[in-house]
Amino acid sequence: MSVVPEDFRYTSEHEWVAGREAEPTYRVGVTDFAQQSLGDVVFIQLPDAGTPVTAGQVLGEVESTKSVSEVYSPVSGEVVAVNDALADRPELVNSDPYGEGWLVEIQAPPGGDIPELLDAPAYRELIAPA
Amino acid sequence: MPPMTQSLFQPVLTGRHEGLGAKFAAFGGWRMPVEYAGGGVLREHAAVREAVGMFDVSHLGTVTVRGRPAVDYLNRCLSNDLDRVADGQAQYTLCCDDAGGIVDDLIVYRCAEDEVLCVPNAANAAAVVARLAGDAPAGVEVVDRHTEYAIIAVQGPRSADLLLAAGLPAGHGYLSFVRADDVVVCRSGYTGEHGYELIAPVRIAGGLWDRLLAAGAPMGVLPCGLGARDTLRTEMGYPLHGQDLSREISPLQAGLGWAVGWDKPEFWGRRALLAERAAGPRRRAIGLETLARAVPRPGMTVSAGPPGSSGAATMGVVTSGTFSPSRRVGIALTLLDADAGWRVGDEVSLDVRARPVRSRLVKPPFVPSRVR
Repeated sequence: MSVVPEDFRYTSEHEWVAGREAEPTYRVGVTDFAQQSLGDVVFIQLPDAGTPVTAGQVLGEVESTKSVSEVYSPVSGEVVAVNDALADRPELVNSDPYGEGWLVEIQAPPGGDIPELLDAPAYRELIAPA
Repeated sequence: MPPMTQSLFQPVLTGRHEGLGAKFAAFGGWRMPVEYAGGGVLREHAAVREAVGMFDVSHLGTVTVRGRPAVDYLNRCLSNDLDRVADGQAQYTLCCDDAGGIVDDLIVYRCAEDEVLCVPNAANAAAVVARLAGDAPAGVEVVDRHTEYAIIAVQGPRSADLLLAAGLPAGHGYLSFVRADDVVVCRSGYTGEHGYELIAPVRIAGGLWDRLLAAGAPMGVLPCGLGARDTLRTEMGYPLHGQDLSREISPLQAGLGWAVGWDKPEFWGRRALLAERAAGPRRRAIGLETLARAVPRPGMTVSAGPPGSSGAATMGVVTSGTFSPSRRVGIALTLLDADAGWRVGDEVSLDVRARPVRSRLVKPPFVPSRVR
């Protein structure tokens, strides 16, 4: 079973987003479901701080021994922080996907357009076995 | 026939794998474990390099060739020279087509002059059987026993201890095999470690798996899936048919000339391969390791010189690529144009989704072999 914390929001591409419209910085990672599907993560390609990103566009890549998966930006804005610990410890995405395994923080412009995200129950439904 | 799901064969040990929380994937027409709960590719890989791991490789085919001239007949078909080995020894060999392309690579077990057991790859077993049966002279019987046998690989520096603890023979030399009751125990494998492959009739396979797993518990044995099998074999530079070997890739291109009995008067593809040897192969297999963080994947192209070299043309392509858990770098097996003027040690550029990655050509293995 995958962990889906109540206080985060989600995309249908299996990213999570922490933060609310009132605080314009959003922390982004991949979900427990995503890391389980990927298997052991061995390499993560992320944009540098200062890079503009667009909701729905490719933000980076997460590679396991078996395959590579693209990570999509859940919001538009600018990358203001990157989780540097992942360069040496990519396995944090597996061991703590909602904590130490976070990927980037994105600052959205004030009053910026935040696309629709799934709440925890909706994401749970998305990943429920058919 | 064993049970099938969505037209995939299921190994007889499937219930054991499900009980161990395996993730499955289709491979060569079989539904096989890729990794296990509590393991994962990296832990399973480490278990084999540092202690011992167990793999169900029952997707591999089993074909018996029996009859008075069985060894002579196979010597006129398969590339390697079966007279280089004695009864009780196994040999790596190739099944080529008339054009010298590789239909399959396989291990043959020379039981006696009139009995040989062939172990082809899952996806090619039927093709190998058809070719061997099609040409067989009177008195030679070729029987496909794919679903009658299970194959369990026990691999790693503690593998001999594990077999002895399970009451099985372990002292025989590399690529030799002995029978223990109904089980054939061969000193072989696909990981580069000291190891064994056990061929057992399906009716006793479950009990054998349980016995091995229990005997290995004090040694830290882990059940290992095809994910770790792939990273382990890639670190050794062992080719995988369907990626590094195919009908379009000859033994000479793949660097497998050592598995061809060039002096034999007859074997499938002989004429084409002798011509290719005289002219020189147009492509050659060589290893590659990345010098920057990246994971090579099959199909990525390789160009001469470090990234940014002016006018660097594509020299060839990655046939297998992965992250090396032992070395913690990207590693690949590539097939490069022979006339592109490259040498081992050259810096080259690997095209990773339009990102050029500094890499170096190296001769495999990427990790020292400890099979003996």
